Amino acid sequence: MKHESMVHALEEILRLLKPGGTLIDIHPVVQAWLCEVTQGSKAVFAEPSPTYDYEEDLIQADVALAQVVQRRLFDRDIEGEFDFLTYASSAAELREFLKKASAYEDSLQDDEVTARAEELAARVEQIRQACGEGAEVAAHERGRITLLRPVI
Amino acid sequence: MTIRIDPEENEIRALVNMAEFNGKHVLEIGCGKGRLTWRYARLAAHVTAIDPFVDGIAKAREDLPEDLQSRVEFHPIAFEDFAASKEAATYDLAILSWSLC
Repeated sequence: MKHESMVHALEEILRLLKPGGTLIDIHPVVQAWLCEVTQGSKAVFAEPSPTYDYEEDLIQADVALAQVVQRRLFDRDIEGEFDFLTYASSAAELREFLKKASAYEDSLQDDEVTARAEELAARVEQIRQACGEGAEVAAHERGRITLLRPVI
Repeated sequence: MTIRIDPEENEIRALVNMAEFNGKHVLEIGCGKGRLTWRYARLAAHVTAIDPFVDGIAKAREDLPEDLQSRVEFHPIAFEDFAASKEAATYDLAILSWSLC
């Protein structure tokens, strides 16, 4: 989605909000998510995913939010970030889950990206198995949360 | 399958720390299967959760706990169509749930 469509969506949200209402936006920060091997609460391996292909969409979302603030439709009130992890018991399980989760998205990965993703998954699985019992594989995203208030 | 999504509850903690839900009518845009919806719905007066993907909404409806049935409604609809059918000034809180981009 281009930022013009996102701005239009934000204008519609503004219309739907009651006076004194609030908008919360949650979306990932502009950086590749990490493929990790974790043991307990500690990451023993982390590498950016080669399948990260939505950077432009995230930039467009940030531009759209900046535009509605600049146009004085919303005030950006509070902003924060948080870690968002999805754990699986193996690299194959994580890949299968992420594949299903992104089944509705229209991006197609080329052969080179697929090959790199497969190579990373194989390495991650080796490391997980070497770590022994309790080791998991995780997709680690960084989320940004923003509270916006309509400007009266 | 042992997928665990945000077991640390970092997302809901960030959301609840930022937003006031008590007595509010909430619109969640991009609810998917209701993963985040379940975590705050009991705090709100009413939740309308939408997502264009029919399968996700079907799963969310299937998993809707009985005690939330009068409080949460799920609709398989794109936001632009939903907004076109709604009057102005309907909601206290809107949540864009990983859906703006």
